[in-house]
Amino acid sequence: MTEAVWLVPALPFLGFIVDLFAGRRLGRAAGWLATLSVAAAAVVAVGVGLDVLAHPAEERTTIVHLYDWIRVGAFSAAADLRVDQLSVLMILVVTIVGTLIHLYAIGYMEGDPRLGRFFAYLNLFVSFMLVLVLAENLLLLYVGWEGVGLCSYLLIGFWFDRPAAANAAKKAFVTTRIGDTFMLVGIALVFLRLGSLDFSVVLDPAIEAVQPSGVFTVIALLLFAGAIGKSAQVPLHVWLPDAMEGPTPVSALIHAATMVTAGVYLVVRTHLFFEISGVALVVVLVVGVVTALYAALSALGQDDIKRVLAYSTVSQLGFMFTAAGMRAYSVAMFMLAAHACYKALLFLSAGSVMHGTHELSDLKRMGGLRRRMPWTAGAAIAGALSLAGVIGLAGYVAKDEILAIASETGRTAVWVLGTLAALLSALYIGRWLFLTFFGDPRSEEAGRAHESPPVMLVPFLALAVGAVGLGVLMLDPETGLVPTFLEPVLGAVPHGDAGVEAAVLVVISQVVALGGLAVTWLVYASARVDWLALRLRLAPLPRFLGHGMYVDDLYARVLVAPAKAGSAILATVVDAGAVDGLVNAVGRLFQSLAGVGRRVQTGLVRTYALAFLLGALALLAYVGVRG
Amino acid sequence: MSTPIAYFLVVSAALFTIGTVGVMVRRNALVIFMSVELQLNGVNLALVAFSRLHGNLTGQVLTFFSMVVAAAEVVVGLAIIVYVFRRRRTANVDDLAVLRW
Repeated sequence: MTEAVWLVPALPFLGFIVDLFAGRRLGRAAGWLATLSVAAAAVVAVGVGLDVLAHPAEERTTIVHLYDWIRVGAFSAAADLRVDQLSVLMILVVTIVGTLIHLYAIGYMEGDPRLGRFFAYLNLFVSFMLVLVLAENLLLLYVGWEGVGLCSYLLIGFWFDRPAAANAAKKAFVTTRIGDTFMLVGIALVFLRLGSLDFSVVLDPAIEAVQPSGVFTVIALLLFAGAIGKSAQVPLHVWLPDAMEGPTPVSALIHAATMVTAGVYLVVRTHLFFEISGVALVVVLVVGVVTALYAALSALGQDDIKRVLAYSTVSQLGFMFTAAGMRAYSVAMFMLAAHACYKALLFLSAGSVMHGTHELSDLKRMGGLRRRMPWTAGAAIAGALSLAGVIGLAGYVAKDEILAIASETGRTAVWVLGTLAALLSALYIGRWLFLTFFGDPRSEEAGRAHESPPVMLVPFLALAVGAVGLGVLMLDPETGLVPTFLEPVLGAVPHGDAGVEAAVLVVISQVVALGGLAVTWLVYASARVDWLALRLRLAPLPRFLGHGMYVDDLYARVLVAPAKAGSAILATVVDAGAVDGLVNAVGRLFQSLAGVGRRVQTGLVRTYALAFLLGALALLAYVGVRG
Repeated sequence: MSTPIAYFLVVSAALFTIGTVGVMVRRNALVIFMSVELQLNGVNLALVAFSRLHGNLTGQVLTFFSMVVAAAEVVVGLAIIVYVFRRRRTANVDDLAVLRW
């Protein structure tokens, strides 16, 4: 079965080809075809997973050679797929969550004139994402990496006739490209200094002796820069909130469950570089904590139903990097899987709300939707409780393990800031939940909302099971299923005896989670507080947070404006003046020379005949003189 | 005894000169064309005369080539002239001086 792993990315690619060329003729069937192709890939992925499980723990890594891709001199990159515990976990998450979101999209995109194109892009995305996580060398990984970036661009800008969507797509592409460029340099450096791009060579612990640790620091930081761009971490996080202009299934699949977690995957996959470096690991930790806190604060100020979730995703990814920065790679991976479930669930319920209220997306104008959309509300409640970290749910298991590790290993600052971010998470998701589904409708659309069709509701159930119950896979960080499964690849979860008692940690986390939810219930749903008036009184604060602390505006002033001014100078003075001037001067020179020469051309046949005759005579005379 | 070569060359030169002057001074495209044919025939005559003088057939063979080429040239040239005449209602080459600076 492992040998057939190539089918996993190939099946969605086949779906892409068919939908691309026959999408229009297929009509509604295009969506079903796309869903089936991903579902088939999921079946193969499960088969591969079972095959891997059937081997003893030390023999679970298989490299499936497809063909020699590039072989130039000393450089070689083969199209090899790596099947090990880590990639199996990733393909399972991608294909299963992908199938559910495809199914949902059939209902959500109903009636769109470019349905076939939409599902073609979605399938292409899944295919590239699977190449990314299955790649055995960094170059093939980079192919998948750029491929998902392309699909992200195409899908954010799917409704490109809206200027906001077209601009958001461009912004996402350019911003992630900044990170990607660093990453490509990092990949080149890996080959130059370590002599290969294959994971089986460069991720061998023996590689440490090949180069001084400074080289590994540079490589790790360059690769991490790529991860920052892709996973929307500070300072390259600005594209993700804007990416919400895309259709909601896209936000759920690409900008919550899969593509944005590629950065986490990259760091976890190449964690050897980060560990040898040491410094790089600290950078990952700092970026993770700062992002978790910053994005959670910003999420609190958002009024758009999807932008709250976008900032939330940024924040949760920050938690994952925090875990990776503390060497708790399997915890990061578990959180990745759990987050894929509960965040996809939240996005899909947000999409369902927008579907049922004629594209209403302003939280201020919603309210009371749980009565008209009970299934959607149920899904949102399950996702929100999991995200907030209510005990026993998947989100709790992941996040509290991260905080517990921070506390145990004596990283008090990380623990305090992480707990603060957790509190903010409970606050923003509580606000989101209560403003949307509780209280009374605050607009006509909200009052006339209708529940979505069953095809959109079925995925809710499956994802809700994941969001609630995925925690059973990691009941204990030492003996849980996921950590023991991943241990041969990622090492054991670190432990220490510093910090407070485990029981106290649980109490604190529950106070934080339930307290946060209770406060938001009191403010937004109990009708005991006039939150609109409160909001007006505090106006500058919501505005500050709502604009993401003006980071976007800062970039616009500090980076974009000087770049534009510089380009203007280059365009007018250098290009139009110097370069064009030089080229035009050469042109004018020859024009004036030709002005003299062209007088010869009279157009009169007899003049030409005379010239011809004189020429013939001259030739004759020359021959005569020479003898 | 055969006729001295000089006789043939005089006639040949006369034909060529008439043709050359015709090309230079006449304006009617058809007449210029006929003059070109005269030049060609002047040269053909010289070729045949020299061929006879030297006692081999090279010059005569070359003459056949030049006649065939001349025939082909006439076909193309006349076609152009006929077309030009149909479009411009003139065969005067001085009126056809559009291809210039």
